[in-house]
Amino acid sequence: MKRLRHYFRLYFLIEAQYIKSKMQYRDDFFISSIGMFFSSLTTIAVFWVLLASIPDLAGWSFNQLVFIYAFYMLAISPFQILFDHFWQLRFHVIEGTFIKYYFRPLNMLFYYLSEMFDIKGVVQLVLGIAMFIYASIKLQVSWNLPLLLLLAATLFSASLVTISIMMIAASSAFWIFNSWPVLDLARRLREFSPYPMTIFDGFFKILFTYIIPIGFVAFYPSQFFLGSQSISTAVYLSPLIGIGTFALAYWIWLKGVNSYTGTGS
Amino acid sequence: MRAYLSYARGSFLSGLAYRSGFIFAILNNLVYMTIAYFLWRSIFGDNQTLRGLTFEQTFLYVTIASSLMVLLKTWTDWEISWNITSGSIIMSLVKPLKYQWMMMAQSLGFCLMNFLSIVVPSLIFLVFVFKIPINTGVGLLFFPVAIIFSFILNTTIDYIIGLTSFYTESIWGISSTKDIIILFLSGSLIPLQFFPEAAQKVLKLLPFQAMYHLPLMMLVEPEQTASSYLVSLSVQLFWVAVILILARLFYNRAVKVLRVAGG
Repeated sequence: MKRLRHYFRLYFLIEAQYIKSKMQYRDDFFISSIGMFFSSLTTIAVFWVLLASIPDLAGWSFNQLVFIYAFYMLAISPFQILFDHFWQLRFHVIEGTFIKYYFRPLNMLFYYLSEMFDIKGVVQLVLGIAMFIYASIKLQVSWNLPLLLLLAATLFSASLVTISIMMIAASSAFWIFNSWPVLDLARRLREFSPYPMTIFDGFFKILFTYIIPIGFVAFYPSQFFLGSQSISTAVYLSPLIGIGTFALAYWIWLKGVNSYTGTGS
Repeated sequence: MRAYLSYARGSFLSGLAYRSGFIFAILNNLVYMTIAYFLWRSIFGDNQTLRGLTFEQTFLYVTIASSLMVLLKTWTDWEISWNITSGSIIMSLVKPLKYQWMMMAQSLGFCLMNFLSIVVPSLIFLVFVFKIPINTGVGLLFFPVAIIFSFILNTTIDYIIGLTSFYTESIWGISSTKDIIILFLSGSLIPLQFFPEAAQKVLKLLPFQAMYHLPLMMLVEPEQTASSYLVSLSVQLFWVAVILILARLFYNRAVKVLRVAGG
């Protein structure tokens, strides 16, 4: 417990320094927020345009799709806000500056991530909450205590799935150095997670459910709240799958950290 | 001219340094194609055509759009921004070459690298695995010319975006907003035909459709008359002229605020 408090205190100390250095560029926050706002709304705009031509997308109405997308936004917010430093990992690995993280009596993953806090991710979170409330009202989801607890559990699990996928992609930097294409691929996959998984069949359904589990970022867990008639077994796995994928991702991260030999500079 | 070509050669060769990334970039494009295949198949359902397009035409449209996006992703805006914020732009400005053409040449080198390493493998996959039939017609002859105009439009817009770094260091925000606007309004995500009528009218007045929609239609419906493609090309040419003039005006204005500390 004392250890946890110690980590919390350190997190805020390191983060405070980061925020102070960011305060130099105040208009950056403003412009980035606009960028975040537009990129968050693209998928909704796609759904809106598509549903002008067809009555529903694989059986899902516009409001249901908004609900799934809002769930997705909430699930990816922790990654966006707290884990943004993963995008920089390749630079630290290539330039050799990653070596400094070995020299502190701290968990390396914690220390590495604590150096960055993505303020614009808050825009995404707020937008996600707003959409979630909007869709809940439109779909008349009757929230009660068990359902809210289930929401907390599924969101936690979905966040861990996103974090794990991106963490594995970022860790590839330890072996291939330029991990950008891998991260970009992971992001591309993640961006499709709010689409109904029911559009896939056969091999791809299994791939996106069990091998690269993007279905668990939004589509499967939201089934609990949408009152759908046919709930597949995958849905019931969704509160649990996050822990398993995170354990795997952390194991890969440790492998990478232990095999890194620096750049010799 | 030869000096500019050496810039193109340089950026082409520097692309080779990150060969391990190609496989993931190809995979990225293939993942998009696969998901697009299932998504549009589900959208079409039992319909033979939607908004005047068949499933095959729509799929060809969106996958070639995705490959075109890969082709045109040359990071010119980021490069310029980095040159400005680091001050290294001064080394380019003292050379007896035009900065804009230097950047365009670099972008061209990148483009060729993207073409050979990512786009060609994706297209082979598209033809052999998805077995999408490409109709033949006079439109196919106009397509390469239209792509050249798309390239000029794209790099020049990137150039203008990069130059905003004279005023702000927030390239992430500006560049990603630009990416989203082009992605959505050019038809590269959803074919323009699927937009509501009123929206289509507006989109056809904007420069973005000239980058993706117009060239893509030459491929999707190649059996139209040559004159209709000439109209498309002249629309592109009009926007090329407008954007180039804007770039020149903006550069003349922006370069005045340049202050490089020491060196």
